[in-house]
Amino acid sequence: MSRKLLIDDVEIEVEDGLTLLQACELAGREVPRFCYHERLSIAGNCRMCLVQVDGMPKPVASCAMGVNDLRPTRDGTPNRVDTRTPLVKKAREGVMEFLLINHPLDCPICDQGGECDLQDQAMAYGGGGSRYDENKRAVDEKHLGPLIKTHMTRCIQCTRCVRFMTEIAGVEELGAAGRGEDMEITTYLEEGMLSELSANVVDLCPVGALTHRPWAHNARPWELRKTESIDAMDAVGSAIRVDTRGREVMRILPRTNEDVNEEWISDKTRHVADGLRTQRLDQPYVRINGKLQPASWDQALDAVADRLTATPANNIGAITGDLAGCEEVFALKDLMNRLDVVNLDCRADGEAINADHGRAGYLFNSSIAGLDEADAILLIGANPRTEAAVMNARILLSWRNSDLRIGVVGPAEDLGYDYDHIGASAADLARLADGSHPFAEVLKSAKRPMVIVGSAATARDDGASVYATAARIADAAMAGKDATWNAFNILHTAAGRVGAMDLGFLPSTNADQSASELDTVFLLGCDAPSISNLQAKFVVYLGTHGDIGAHKADVILPGATYTEKSVTYVNMEGRAQLTAKAAFAPGDAREDWKVIRALSDRVDKTLPYDDLEALRAAMYVAAPHLAQIGHLTPADAKATASLAKSDNGQLSDAPFEPAIDDFYLSNPIARASAVMAELSALRQTATKRTEAAE
Amino acid sequence: MSILSEIFSWWGGNTWGTRITLMCQGRFVGEDDDGNKYYEQRSGVGSMGMPRRWVTYKHQADPTRVPPEWHGWLHHTVNTPPTEEDYRPKPWQQEHRANMTGTAAAYRPSGSILTSDERPHATGDYQAWKPD
Repeated sequence: MSRKLLIDDVEIEVEDGLTLLQACELAGREVPRFCYHERLSIAGNCRMCLVQVDGMPKPVASCAMGVNDLRPTRDGTPNRVDTRTPLVKKAREGVMEFLLINHPLDCPICDQGGECDLQDQAMAYGGGGSRYDENKRAVDEKHLGPLIKTHMTRCIQCTRCVRFMTEIAGVEELGAAGRGEDMEITTYLEEGMLSELSANVVDLCPVGALTHRPWAHNARPWELRKTESIDAMDAVGSAIRVDTRGREVMRILPRTNEDVNEEWISDKTRHVADGLRTQRLDQPYVRINGKLQPASWDQALDAVADRLTATPANNIGAITGDLAGCEEVFALKDLMNRLDVVNLDCRADGEAINADHGRAGYLFNSSIAGLDEADAILLIGANPRTEAAVMNARILLSWRNSDLRIGVVGPAEDLGYDYDHIGASAADLARLADGSHPFAEVLKSAKRPMVIVGSAATARDDGASVYATAARIADAAMAGKDATWNAFNILHTAAGRVGAMDLGFLPSTNADQSASELDTVFLLGCDAPSISNLQAKFVVYLGTHGDIGAHKADVILPGATYTEKSVTYVNMEGRAQLTAKAAFAPGDAREDWKVIRALSDRVDKTLPYDDLEALRAAMYVAAPHLAQIGHLTPADAKATASLAKSDNGQLSDAPFEPAIDDFYLSNPIARASAVMAELSALRQTATKRTEAAE
Repeated sequence: MSILSEIFSWWGGNTWGTRITLMCQGRFVGEDDDGNKYYEQRSGVGSMGMPRRWVTYKHQADPTRVPPEWHGWLHHTVNTPPTEEDYRPKPWQQEHRANMTGTAAAYRPSGSILTSDERPHATGDYQAWKPD
């Protein structure tokens, strides 16, 4: 059903269920608003979106008025809506005057200045002045934690932040206390918000009531250079905008990508910016007599080259890390192949995931957008809240809006939604696989079931069996259903993992050395905790931060972080995305692929590409789907069936461990960040307090 | 100031003209901690209708070398010179310092590249990792 409307003399046909505001936008009319937001429920309390509707005695708030609520006209002509009449103009000026009654005139010292909705709309729709002579209301500042700075006198009570925290973040921590002029937004206990998505409320705030504390008074929006890029903090691949001034990343903001992050990003993605300028490796180091000494690029590269040429190829190994982009992984693989090195791996944590059965064996096949359609989800050893926080918001929304059933095998964590806790250990999977557990029936009857395996759930002794059993459960759930839907999903935690697996950075079949027997190891930004147990005599670390890998290294080659180079990241669903270079790497640090290219020259195995274009051309030949930037390249679902038949070992009854111990400290950049350290400490005290209360 | 430079130069210090004027008309009143000497007209009045008051500098002629207690007397704010009363500076008063502009002790605001203090954080700074 659709309905005809006459909006400012333009006749349009709109679908049922739309609001007048959406209809006006479809007709190309701009309607000012503060409280209305497309992704939040409708509050209708700012009254800024008033329009005139024929037959209504007063102007109506268009955001809260559905097109179906309009009474049909007597003669059957379309309802008339006006957004530009003198009445509407006067009404908007009146609303703006009321909003500005208690809003302080402190724009020159307000961090929102320059990107403030109230400022813009006061210019566009407000009257010339105010008739208000009395004292302005003042409101106490609230403590909302280390990320959010409050200036509640500026608040216009749009309640967007309250609705976001409840509906999207799933924590009912913000609320409005008091009525009328005395209404205040508060956390009740003032203990700081404990959500991985909390900083998004600052983006939503149309005024300067909530601003970012870590960047407070650091920069004005108009002096920053904006670079559109991709996040590397988790495997979701959120779209971000990196704001730089000179060579420093001042802030990171979300961009809209409906298929991935909608318009949210996690606190780690946003506030890791200060980690990009601390603990940086800015010059090469070579270990001489047991101590790391500063060295020139020549000395460092020669030391590595000498070692690589002197060591037999089967004693050399290479491991890529969580943040390695496809370009450098490809260059390193190319170089290692030319040196006949077969001990390559990108699964530093020891996950059993492999590419033997095709791409579908290691992808999030149902896609992130597919979560909206899913009607049954089984999480195996996965905690989406810490491993992919933005994705968890999507599950939560789907759970609120539909009859989604969720089952969990693993630790019983607070995910923000209700779920059936099936068991804590891998042995409980067997009951799902043979159908004896009732949740197996839920999966079977679901139209679009999803089985999500955390990558860490396979990093254990019985990992291969967990991997195969999960595939078997997914295979059984898919039987006889839509063939385009693949229920088998791997939840990765590292941005670089899928890309490295796509490029086949995995041990070849004749690799017989385990990592502990290797003599020389090349670490490409690998800072996995297991690295500290490495027994190799010579470790080369190419990375950005002084972390686990750098402490272990004999030669340190400084590289560039994800904001300082243009690389391809493949997110967990298999979507290749390009980051952009927003700033230069500090000191002598160089882009990683250039270092590998320079090294190849020294070992007389020169790689045949001199610039990024040539490197990409070679990479696209090896993995053509990487050229499909921004597009999802689905994998053949047959992998699940063959994977299901692969291994049938014993499942141990050891409980699944969380993949990420500390959400805020999961990679070297985050570990260098003071903001992340503060958040981590806050989370720990809060957890202790909760445990003490129980 | 040597007698030669007093005769042959008129910049920087007292001239022989000053010496003659003070010999003829001046009465020595006192000396401050810096060694500057203060004089008053013995008889008659100056163009302001009151006895003139002079200072001769120990070193360079620099009005900022006059300490506040003598500054008050010199400018006819008070009539009693500090040597004739029990002058004590107020406890909140800082010690007098002449204008240091042009010397190594000149005032440098924080952020000036001439200060020896640590430079404040600027955009583009990073903290490099150092092996221990």
